[in-house]
Parts: sequence; C-alpha cells; structure tokens
Amino acid sequence: MIDRTPPGQLAALWLIGRRAAVESMQDRLTLLMSMFFAVVLPIGLTALAVRPRIADSGASGDVLAFYLLIVGLAPAVSAVGIAAGQFAGEKERGLLTPLLASPASNFAIFGGKVLGSIIPPLLYAAVAEAVYALSIATLLGPERLLLLPPILSVGMLLLVPAVTLFGAVTSSLISSRVRTFNAAQQVGGLVLMPVWGALLGVVIKLRDWGPAPLLGAVALLVVLDVCLTIVAAATWRREEVLSHS
Amino acid sequence: MIEAHGLRRLFGQHVAVEDVSLTVAPGALLALLGPNGAGKTTTVRMLAGLLRPSAGHATVAGCDVLAEPAAVRARVGLMTDSPGLHDQMNARAYLDFFGQMYGVESRARRQRIDQLLELFDLQRVASRRMATFSKGMQQKVALARALLHGPRVIFLDEPTSGLDPLAARSVRELIVGLKNDSRAVVLCTHDLDEAERLADSVTILRHGRIVASDSPSALRAHASRETLVQVTLAGDVADADRLVARIEGVVEPKLHGKQLSYRTLYPDQANPSVIAHLVGAGAQVVSVTCTTATLEDVYASALEVAALP
Repeated sequence: MIDRTPPGQLAALWLIGRRAAVESMQDRLTLLMSMFFAVVLPIGLTALAVRPRIADSGASGDVLAFYLLIVGLAPAVSAVGIAAGQFAGEKERGLLTPLLASPASNFAIFGGKVLGSIIPPLLYAAVAEAVYALSIATLLGPERLLLLPPILSVGMLLLVPAVTLFGAVTSSLISSRVRTFNAAQQVGGLVLMPVWGALLGVVIKLRDWGPAPLLGAVALLVVLDVCLTIVAAATWRREEVLSHS
Repeated sequence: MIEAHGLRRLFGQHVAVEDVSLTVAPGALLALLGPNGAGKTTTVRMLAGLLRPSAGHATVAGCDVLAEPAAVRARVGLMTDSPGLHDQMNARAYLDFFGQMYGVESRARRQRIDQLLELFDLQRVASRRMATFSKGMQQKVALARALLHGPRVIFLDEPTSGLDPLAARSVRELIVGLKNDSRAVVLCTHDLDEAERLADSVTILRHGRIVASDSPSALRAHASRETLVQVTLAGDVADADRLVARIEGVVEPKLHGKQLSYRTLYPDQANPSVIAHLVGAGAQVVSVTCTTATLEDVYASALEVAALP
C-alpha cells in the first residue's frame, strides 16, 4: 500500500495553477508571441509612437502613462486565450478528464486553471512594463520617467491585473460550458469586447476627464473580479464539463 | 469492491444509462462491452466519482459514490479512452504532478515513478517531451498514471487501443497481474477476444441498458449450446453426410468436397460415433475441429435481441 496524504484545497489549487502556467509557457508559439508583446512591442512603441509625440507636443506624462497601459495590456489579453485553452481546449483534446478524475475539489481545479491562465500574462506584462521603462530611459532619457503622473500610472498598472483576471475568469466560465476551443474564443470575445471598449474609451478620454474615471473603472473592475471569481468558483462543476463533452 | 444498483444517468432529457447494476469482487475483472454510445463511459464515470448518478446507488472501494465522490476518486485509478497527456511535459514530470495530486509522499512517489517507468520500459524516454511519443508510449504513460497511487479499484477504458501486438500483450499481462494482486478491474473494450481472455464476467450494454451479463462461458452457453463440428477427410467420400445423418444427436450434416460439417448438442457422444461410422465406411479422417459460440456471437446476438421491438 502506498502512503498518501491528499493535498489540501489551496495546495491542490497551487499545484494545478503552477503546472498550467508552466505548460502554457513551454508552448513555443505562445512563448514567441508573448516575447514579441513583452519585448519588441514596448521598444517599438517607444521609438515609433511615444518619441515623435513627445517631440511634437513637448513633455507629456499622459502620453507616457497611456502607453504604459497599452504595453501592459497587450500581453495580458492573452489570458483569455490561455483560459479558453485550459478548459475548452483541454476538453477537446481529452486532457481534462484525468484531472477531473483526481481527488482535487471543483474549487481547486477551477481556481488552479484560472491561476494558471493569469500567471504567464502577468509575468509577460511585468517584463513589458520593465522593457518600456528601460526603452524610455534609453531612447528619451531617464529624466522622462519622472514625468509619469504617479496616480495615473498606478491606476494604469492596477488595470492590467484587473483586466487580466476579468478576462481569464470570464473566459474560464464560458469555455467550461462550450464544446470547442473556437467556440470559447468566439463567445469570450463577444462578451469581453464591450467591456474592453468601454475601458479604452475611459483611457482615451483621460486628458479631458482626469484620472478619477480611470480609478473608478479600476475599482469597479476589481469589485467585478472579486464577485465573478467567487461566483464562478462556487458554481463551477466538473459534472458540467463532462456533460458538455 | 464495486457494488452498483439501479444506476441511472440523464443528460437533460437523454437517458445515457438506465438501471445498471453490477458487482466486481477483489481480484475479478468485469468487461463492459457495447457499441459506441452504449453508456460504458458514463457508467465508469459514475463509478469513478466523476458523474453523480441521477438515480441508484453504488459503493466503490468502500465509499459511497453519491456521498463521498472525492474519496472514491482518491481510491480508484482511471485510464481514460484517450491518453490525455500534456505534450509539452515529459513523462516523469507528468507522473510526478499526478502523484502530488493523489498525495503520494515525495520519496514514495519517486520510487513508484521509477518502478512504473521500468515496468513500461519508458526509462530511456522519461525526460523527453511527450509530444514525441508514439500512441503506444502514450497509452503506457496513461496506464502508469492510473496505477501511480496504488488503487485497489481500476477502470480501464480501451487500454490496448492503438498498441502494437507485443505492447498490447504486455498490457494484458499487466492487467492479469492486477487481478492476481486482488485488485478489482473494470475494462471497457471493443476487443471481444481481449474481453474473453481477461474477463471473469462480461456485461453488454445497449442504449444505456444491460442486455446481457454473466461469465463469458455462461454467456456462450446461453447463446448457443450447440457445437459446430468440422471433419476433414483424406479423400472424397460420397454420401458421408447421409451416413452420419442417421446418428443420434447429429444436426444438419453438410458435405463440401472433403469437408463434412454438422452441429450437435452432445459432442461427447456424437463425435466418436460419427468417426466410427466414417472409418467403417472406408473414410480416412484427417482432423476433427469443434467450435462453440464465441463471445462475438454472444455480443451480436445480445445486440440483435435487444434491437427487436
């Protein structure tokens, strides 16, 4: 007989999340695309978009902050695809059943999969922000970094994990209730597009409205994230996944 | 080890499984047979604690599938119909992950993984990405995953599907080893020969219902108690069929060249008499072959009967 002590809920959640994150980061195509968003895009935007605008209109912290968000969000958006792959993709390829057959609870499986969907994008987003800061320091001069408005910048930086989690949880909920990865991507896109559109609208209007609406949007998104995650984790059932397979 | 009574499972309005009852003792193997969509996988999923039965009850490895599904999952091993491996991982890391999920202690886990990799002849490729594995190697890793935590009850869904004959034989030998180790095994298969060779009992499902269930020999006897006898003669013997037709117990004798065939319920009495009559008539008997109903005949017959209105 083999000695066994099944892991607790949080330990199982972490095991599943870590494995899902590693698996996703080992996929060469995803890695290549993510590295493009994390390294090439920030350098390119700084050189081709930020530098000319700052040169034209003088030193503008808003412009720097705006691109801070764009640079962070570009790799973070991949959370939707990763989450769709974690549920619908794995179900389609028959990878999910062995995990569903394990003693892990519904909460641990769902939470682990969501965690695994947000770890890689957040890591790439962090790299992208760092590369962006380095690019500004190198191409425009380190003093330009001081132009970043603190409140606005913190708001932009908080928006990245909030959007990532929102995308991942929404996509997880949808993808565990549809049959195919493609369906998960399409439905997820349809649901998330208006939310992202509204957010982008707020960000574009920053100059006119000031940082308050942005901070309000961040707060609203965080509250939405918490509610959605709790509801999703409490209602997700492995049975439902198997019923749709 | 497995006791199920009146299991039923609905998916919306669709009845996937209806009134399935079965028992598997320690050291016994039950083969679940049936066409695609017959309810085999749903039955296994209910017994393995993945799906909640809509009605009925079952006890697996001492745990109630309705009240303690997580405890059932922790005590059973399930090999799914597709290997379900993560391409980017290597076999050792994959098995280690599942060992952790089942709570196998770190040292025991390492030893167990080494043991299984050796058993399945996978040590040399244990550090390779599983994307490069053949179907047979993938099946072996999936089987190793199901056995990793030493379950006393094992569900195997098409374990030899896609394997070459030698690999399939080694998996069958392993299954026999599991039985001999007093584990209860449920085997879903389309390979009737495999079921006949390995199973202590066979349950045939159709449209979610059991249409036949017994030991392979009892099912064969039930399907047809007649034995088909084929006698090969050295030369043409005219009227051999008419000669044996008079013998008691010989049914429908037919002669095709040097081949004489007939059916009988009592081969012990009829065959010696037939041979004696043939030799007495100057015939030379080259061989006598007796064939009883196969599990394939039973399967076909059970499904045909079930299809009748």
